[in-house]
Amino acid sequence: MYKLNVNGTSYEIDITASESLSDVLRDRLGLLGVKVSCGEGECGSCTVLVDGKPETSCLKLGRQAEGQEITTIEGMGTYDDLHPIQEAYIEEQGFQCGFCTPGFIMATKAFLDSNPNPTEEEASEAMSGNICRCGAHPYIVKSVLKAAEKIRG
Amino acid sequence: MGVHHMPKKLKVVGKDVPVLDAREKVTGALEYGVDYAVPKMVHGKILRSTIPHGRIKSIDSSKAEALPGVLGVVTHEDSPDLDWIGVWDNYRGKVLDGIARFVGDEVAAVAATTEKIAEQALALIEVEYEVLPAVLDVRKALLDDAPQVREEGNVRDEYRVVWGDGKTGEDESDHIVELEIQFKAQNYAGIGRNACICDWNGEKVTMWTSSQTPSELQSGIHQAFGIPMSSVRVVALPSGCSFGLWWSNNFMMLTAMLAKKIRKPVKIELTSQECMAAVKRRHIEITTGRMGVSNDGQITLADFSHLMDNGAYGFKTDVYFFCCDLWGGAKNGDYRVRGVSTNLVTSGCMRAVGDITMGLAVERLADMCAEKVNIDPVDFRMKNQIKSGQQLRMQEPRQHMKGTLTEYVDKLTDVQKEGWPEMFHLSSGSTHELLRQGAEKFRFKERWKGWGKPSSVNGSKHRGIGVGTGAHCCGVEFGGNTSSVVRVNHDGSVNVFSSCGRQGQGSETTLSQVAAEELGVSLDMVNIVTGDTDAMPWSSGSSASTTMFRTGWATRAAAKDAKKQILRIAAIEYFDSDDPETLDIQDGIIRSQNPEDNRNVSLEEMMNVLCSDSLAQTTVITGRPDEVMPPTIAFARQWAAQFTEVEVDVETGEIRILEFLAGQDSGTVVNPKVLKNQVIGGAICGAGFALYEGIEFDENDGRVLNDGLLDYKLLRTGDFPSDAEVFFVESPDPVGPFGARGAGESPAAAAAPAICQAVYNAIGVWVDVPMTPEAVIRALNER
Repeated sequence: MYKLNVNGTSYEIDITASESLSDVLRDRLGLLGVKVSCGEGECGSCTVLVDGKPETSCLKLGRQAEGQEITTIEGMGTYDDLHPIQEAYIEEQGFQCGFCTPGFIMATKAFLDSNPNPTEEEASEAMSGNICRCGAHPYIVKSVLKAAEKIRG
Repeated sequence: MGVHHMPKKLKVVGKDVPVLDAREKVTGALEYGVDYAVPKMVHGKILRSTIPHGRIKSIDSSKAEALPGVLGVVTHEDSPDLDWIGVWDNYRGKVLDGIARFVGDEVAAVAATTEKIAEQALALIEVEYEVLPAVLDVRKALLDDAPQVREEGNVRDEYRVVWGDGKTGEDESDHIVELEIQFKAQNYAGIGRNACICDWNGEKVTMWTSSQTPSELQSGIHQAFGIPMSSVRVVALPSGCSFGLWWSNNFMMLTAMLAKKIRKPVKIELTSQECMAAVKRRHIEITTGRMGVSNDGQITLADFSHLMDNGAYGFKTDVYFFCCDLWGGAKNGDYRVRGVSTNLVTSGCMRAVGDITMGLAVERLADMCAEKVNIDPVDFRMKNQIKSGQQLRMQEPRQHMKGTLTEYVDKLTDVQKEGWPEMFHLSSGSTHELLRQGAEKFRFKERWKGWGKPSSVNGSKHRGIGVGTGAHCCGVEFGGNTSSVVRVNHDGSVNVFSSCGRQGQGSETTLSQVAAEELGVSLDMVNIVTGDTDAMPWSSGSSASTTMFRTGWATRAAAKDAKKQILRIAAIEYFDSDDPETLDIQDGIIRSQNPEDNRNVSLEEMMNVLCSDSLAQTTVITGRPDEVMPPTIAFARQWAAQFTEVEVDVETGEIRILEFLAGQDSGTVVNPKVLKNQVIGGAICGAGFALYEGIEFDENDGRVLNDGLLDYKLLRTGDFPSDAEVFFVESPDPVGPFGARGAGESPAAAAAPAICQAVYNAIGVWVDVPMTPEAVIRALNER
């Protein structure tokens, strides 16, 4: 059994050797906000925070996450009580289809934790690790800047 | 009839409300096909061909079936002997017919208790092929002795749009420029993949999958399995970015075959690689063209021949291009299209189909003409592009329709056509105002240095500006009509039933805005069903920029019908009147339009009358369109004009987009934020086509080599200016709901011409797309 800390809750799970972290989160814990698209760490849809750092959960083995603090989109705000980053994404409509959005929001969280007052250029570069095929790019960057503003208060 | 008046002041339409599913999207709660599950569900996997063309001599699945956990295998022997036709002929054929037509084609499928077992079972199926010669080259597929991909032969009938006379055009030309250009196939490369769950329970088939075209998928299942449409329920789930990929796809039919065989719900979830190499892609296109111009800048001749490949299962004869209308000011025009089959993965409609490829070729030649007569690209477009009220060039029929469009229009009665815009003429909007306002905002005239001349040079970095234009349809009726149903409940709340897709374009929100506006209720009183065919009337789905214009029209018409019924009862019950025309609903309150009459009744109170001793025959009010919608193709188009500045490094060949301004005329803007996102999203799709994107096919067997995002490069946030701006010109359409038209595709068509022209101006040489650094350096070396 492997001990995982996900969104502040501890779990003991029998993780197989080949099981990716994204599979564990989705299939074992029902955290379907962890979206998996490319499966090769390129698109960033499956981004979660591991000890506060963004990682693509499709490339990480579930067992490797033992003892680490995992945060998924479900560990951010809730439907009735959104996180400021989520509010910002709605206000600036930093998405279209929404499939890549959880990954972008997690990447935004990690970025703003390390850089609470970014320039537009820094935000644009920081979000380049994720892919939005719908092409909401400028609005994603605006969402990041607005989120920074909200968090700074 | 068919044309609705515009109320003076709009309350819901035009408002920047967040999309209705915004909270689900930012919390990760929205369920897509891959997230969906049903009880007792098992898992399926597809066996795919390893050869580009071959007939299955034998297929032995006994070992697979013996594997513990395997529940069933289907092959061509289980396939009904029926053809099904995907939307716009993007697929045609049997689900499985024992012939593999491309590497990755579906050969068989396995259902098992787990996905892993299903995958293991695939390796145990033994297939023996009679290898057939394959044709992997579009031009070679035309030849008489080419291997034939389909029973019907490789070559489809030529589709032609012609006006004026080519010989006259030649004579009138002072200059004629020529071009031959080959466009690579763009990959949908959607983020999101797809999955399909099918349950074949008794005689009732239910399918859950991400689809933009729920009703057409229902029709497809009906065709493929020969069962009544009433037995088929499709529940279309939201999709990730689709661009036309997830309409009705053959893997969905394979899921149904498995479900039918094992009588359990089966889920097939595609891998990213399957999505990128085995479903569908944009066509390869080869365009040869000539364009003539007189010294005063008038285009005298537009003569184009387009060859497009259908891949293995596409059956398109034309690509639904509207660049011939955009450049409709040309005095003489002749556009010819031929579709050919190849042993490559199926090609089909992708966002701005035709206009992103042909449109770019036409814009390139127009730019070359403009340079010959030394007119800047803004003025040249204004001189030669169609204006509102002028005759459309694309007006003749498609084979989907009974007779020609002209015959259809002529057969209708005057009452049916009352108030219609003039048929075969552009009803509203054009690029002119976009170009005028855009040039001003961009300071185009000040910054323009001449053709092939950079706006600035700093060492190896050359900057150039460019402008491009794009057009597309606003839905086309030949694929089927659209409809909507509106239901007003006892509490005055409203359900809208409109068959369309949810791929991020926000239709669930904008259609709800239309219904709320017409019924005079607030948006939070409206709930919409877009995916369940058991509830909705059949509609041509979210393809060809149909949804806002045509389904929006139907939704408004249905709301109008419901309102008419409500006011008829209200007039008698509450206003001692038999004239419902004197009443209106505003903010959920029914009032007299006479300012001196203060009587009013809430919609809720009025609806409760239906439960008591009322005059109504029913418990709720159900509205549906009771008018004839004018054929959209005969008058409506959407327009885009985009301006950009790029920087080209002549040492590395790298291109950066520095500035981007996108103008859009889609008539009345129903939701500015939604539309801005569509416009920029389109521009980025077009920019990807211009800069990076193109499928590489293996030259020996045609397999897709760059079938992952590691090898298929897409634009990321850092690759497109974050301060890109959008402006709207709202020339109201006489037919579209509250004056709105289609939107999603013209912006994708305008971007590549703008970027290509800017690159040309920066470095003085045209670069073929995709303008990768290698292509730029090659073009510079060939200069």
